[in-house]
Amino acid sequence: MSNVHWFDTVSSTMHEAARLADEGCAHGTVVAANEQTAGHGRHGRAWHSEKDAGLYCTFILRPRQLDPANVPVITLALGLAAADAIALPCDLRWPNDVLIRNRKVCGILTTLHAGAVLAGIGINANHTAFPPDLEPIATSLRIENNGLPVDRHALLNRLQTAVLSHCAILEEQGPKAIIDLFTRASSYASGRRVRLEDTGETGITDGLDSAGFLMLKRDDGRRITIYAGGVRPAQ
Amino acid sequence: MNIDEIRELLGLFNESGVAEMEVQRGENRVRLKRASLSHDYVVAAPAPAAGTIYAAAAPPAAPAPAAQQSLAGASAPVIDAQAEKNDLIKSPIVGTFYESASPGAAPFVKVGDQIEKGQVLCIIESMKLMNEIEAEFAGTIVSKLVDNGKPVEYGQALFAVKPR
Repeated sequence: MSNVHWFDTVSSTMHEAARLADEGCAHGTVVAANEQTAGHGRHGRAWHSEKDAGLYCTFILRPRQLDPANVPVITLALGLAAADAIALPCDLRWPNDVLIRNRKVCGILTTLHAGAVLAGIGINANHTAFPPDLEPIATSLRIENNGLPVDRHALLNRLQTAVLSHCAILEEQGPKAIIDLFTRASSYASGRRVRLEDTGETGITDGLDSAGFLMLKRDDGRRITIYAGGVRPAQ
Repeated sequence: MNIDEIRELLGLFNESGVAEMEVQRGENRVRLKRASLSHDYVVAAPAPAAGTIYAAAAPPAAPAPAAQQSLAGASAPVIDAQAEKNDLIKSPIVGTFYESASPGAAPFVKVGDQIEKGQVLCIIESMKLMNEIEAEFAGTIVSKLVDNGKPVEYGQALFAVKPR
C-alpha cells in the first residue's frame, strides 16, 4: 500500500493531514494513528479514540474534474466506501454515518482545506466495550463479528482501495452515480421518520435531491432541504 | 425577497451603522450603501456565476419585480461591479454558516479585525463537509453579513472586507 503515514500517537489525524496537504502530498495519501489524544467529530465534539482499538485515519483527496459545487457529494461517497471496506451488512445514515444494527460503527468528518479534501474516518474496529454514554448507540466490528479481532492495517488497505474507487466514480460518472448508490444503500434516504440533530424538527425523509441533500416532509406538511447536520431516528 | 423583507433589511442597516451591506436570496440581491447625506438602494439580479449552481438545492426565488421597480424609482441605482467583486467574501457552496470552529469557541474573525490573505474567516458546512472559507486578499472586516448557524446560498455574501 502506498502513501500511508501510520503514527503511534497524534493529537488528531486531521491536523497531521492538513500539514501534509500544505506540503502538497498526492491524492489518496492517508494518515493513520494507533491513538489520537484530541480526536474530534463535528463541531469539535470528542471522538472516542481508545488506543489500538479503532482505525483512526484521514485521507487527503484532490478530486479532478469536479465542479466545486459538487464537492460535498464526496461525503456520501466516503460513507459508501467505508461500508464497502467494513464488509459486514451496514446501513448508511445521511450524510455518512455507517451503522450496524442501528448502532454507529464509523463516523466521517470532512474538511475542505487549502483546496484539498481532508476526509477523517473513524471506524470502531476492536472495541470490546464502550463508555456508558456511547454503549447504546455504538458498536464495533469485533462485537458484530463474534468477537473476532480485526487487522486494522488490512482494514485500512481495503478502505484506501474503496475510497479511491468511489472517488473515481464521482469524478468519472458525476454526483448522480454516487447519489443513486447511496439511495440504494441507505434506509434513511426515504420513508424514514427522523429528527434533525441541529434543530429538533421531525418529519419523514423524502429522498435526496440532485446535489445530494436530504429532503424532509415535515410534520406540518412543509418540505424542507437539509444542508447540514445529521438526522436521528424519531418515534 | 419581498418588500417587507427589504424594509426590514433597511431597518437593520440603519441600526447597524455599517457602511455597506449586500444580501442575496435566490436571484434577488439587495445592496445598501451609505452615502454622505442619503442612502442608495440597489436591487439587481446577480451576475452569472462561474461553474454549476446547485440547481435543485437552491431553486431561484420568485423574482420580485415590484420591489425592484419601486426601489429603482426611489433613488438612482449605484452599481459598482469592481467594488462588489473586490470587497465581498462570498460562499462557494450551499450550506450552513459557522463563525467559529466549534460552539462556544471564539469566532475566526470579528468586525474591525485586520485579516491576511489565506486566513480562515468562517466555515460553511455542507453535508458534514466543513468548507474553510479563506480570505482572498488582505484587508479589514467591515461587516459580517450572516448570523452564526444560518443557511447560506451559493454566491451569498458572507463578509464585507475593505482591501488594503
